[in-house]
Amino acid sequence: MMPIGENLLGQFRGVYLARAKDEEILKRKVASGGAVTALLCYALDKGLVDGVVTSKRVKGFEGKAVVARNKEELLEAAGNSWSIVPFAARIKAKIEEEDLKEVAIVCLPCQAQFFGQMRDFPILETDFGNRIKYIISLFCMGTFAFEAFLNYLRVRYGVRAENIKNIRLGREFLEVHHNGTVLAIPLKEAFSYLQTGCLVCTDYTGLWSDVSAGFVESEPGWTVLITRNARGEELVKGAEKEGYIELRDGSHVLGDILKRAREKVARAQRNMAQLF
Amino acid sequence: MLMEKLKVLHVDFAGCEGCNVSIIRAYPKLMNEIELDISYLRDGPPKYDEYDVALITGGACMNEPRILEELREIREKAKVIVAFGSCASLGGILRFARGGQEPRPDHRNFQPINSVIPVDYSIPGCPPTPQMLQSFFKFFMAGNESRLRLFKVTAGLKKLSGFDLIDDIVLTGLCIGCGACELSCPTGAIRLVEKRPTIIQERCIRCGTCYIRCPRASQLICLGGEKP
Repeated sequence: MMPIGENLLGQFRGVYLARAKDEEILKRKVASGGAVTALLCYALDKGLVDGVVTSKRVKGFEGKAVVARNKEELLEAAGNSWSIVPFAARIKAKIEEEDLKEVAIVCLPCQAQFFGQMRDFPILETDFGNRIKYIISLFCMGTFAFEAFLNYLRVRYGVRAENIKNIRLGREFLEVHHNGTVLAIPLKEAFSYLQTGCLVCTDYTGLWSDVSAGFVESEPGWTVLITRNARGEELVKGAEKEGYIELRDGSHVLGDILKRAREKVARAQRNMAQLF
Repeated sequence: MLMEKLKVLHVDFAGCEGCNVSIIRAYPKLMNEIELDISYLRDGPPKYDEYDVALITGGACMNEPRILEELREIREKAKVIVAFGSCASLGGILRFARGGQEPRPDHRNFQPINSVIPVDYSIPGCPPTPQMLQSFFKFFMAGNESRLRLFKVTAGLKKLSGFDLIDDIVLTGLCIGCGACELSCPTGAIRLVEKRPTIIQERCIRCGTCYIRCPRASQLICLGGEKP
């Protein structure tokens, strides 16, 4: 049905493990190595970009597009890859409102595909791909159909959206942090609340990004960075040189990433067979 | 390294000239790489017998045998055929032709070029920007097929529109609500209502931009090569 090998990880230059050097970033970011935040700090400090567009969870699962121009603002938005995708139009509006000329966008693989396609192939006069300098996509197994998922959390576990502080993906459980406690939901149970579109998606890492970032269980405390082109490579290497991140080779975790990517493709194939 | 310029022929059929203007605007930055044979820049018939690439704009009027014949001749002459713009690639607004309309067209039946001859790449857009054409040639000359895959796959399709987007992605529940379509519609025919796209029917000009910009739709057609 589909050429699997080609679609698993896409074209890439390097695979690294990285960790932020800044104590403050590390303190606030315990799940992974905080390398994305550190990369963005570097890009902002050195004037490589004039803003970072990302999403921030406002309540429950709802996210909104925000622009960060310094470390403080970055830290406020960082640390949540479970945010619902804010509308592309709002991201555009944000970039235009704040008159940003060169931005970094942190997003999910689907958005990376849209922004990447727009940057490479500007079909419309209104496209703003020329303002997008870096596309950083986060590894993704899917986003929740959050109306249903929140309802389920409320009915089944009595957890209300407004009390959810954070959501983290563990090995077998999805951890919902709320009211000072942690609710561990088996992944299998939670995954049935993913959006259907995500269930047929084959892109785990973000093939259209400049840098893909995520984590693997075998290297806790480190962020995996996949660079896909010269631009991404320079960003990562520059951040290392300037002392923003600690960097080491990550080729030994490639197998772990491939495994996840393969799982996602297999899931997509199963679901597509049902749908069409 | 001195490379021989690509010989590129442009031929326009029924259309509004928007795509042609786009090609002319793109040309100054392409002059080092391609030699464009376009009717605006010459007197008389095309210069060469053979071309590396033919850019075709406008749809094929199926009631005009002369046009169908000309298309077949171009296919013989050119190694690669690129349908540039929505009319040539997907029918576009020409699908609304009802015949005898003022001032044009006379006829009713316009089809995308791939209804008549095999097309290698289809680039939708109403019209696509000059930068789009420049990008296309950049990736084409670099032989970067994976980046051009979407346009290769689109060359095998005859119809993509806002309606298809709604049918294939929204009504099947595959939409993830990212809003790429809303941002990609040149006529404002798509609005997100309740986090999902809805279509204002009269506004959709069948250009297909939303479909190929939808991350889900473009991923699906690139994977399977077939529209669901």
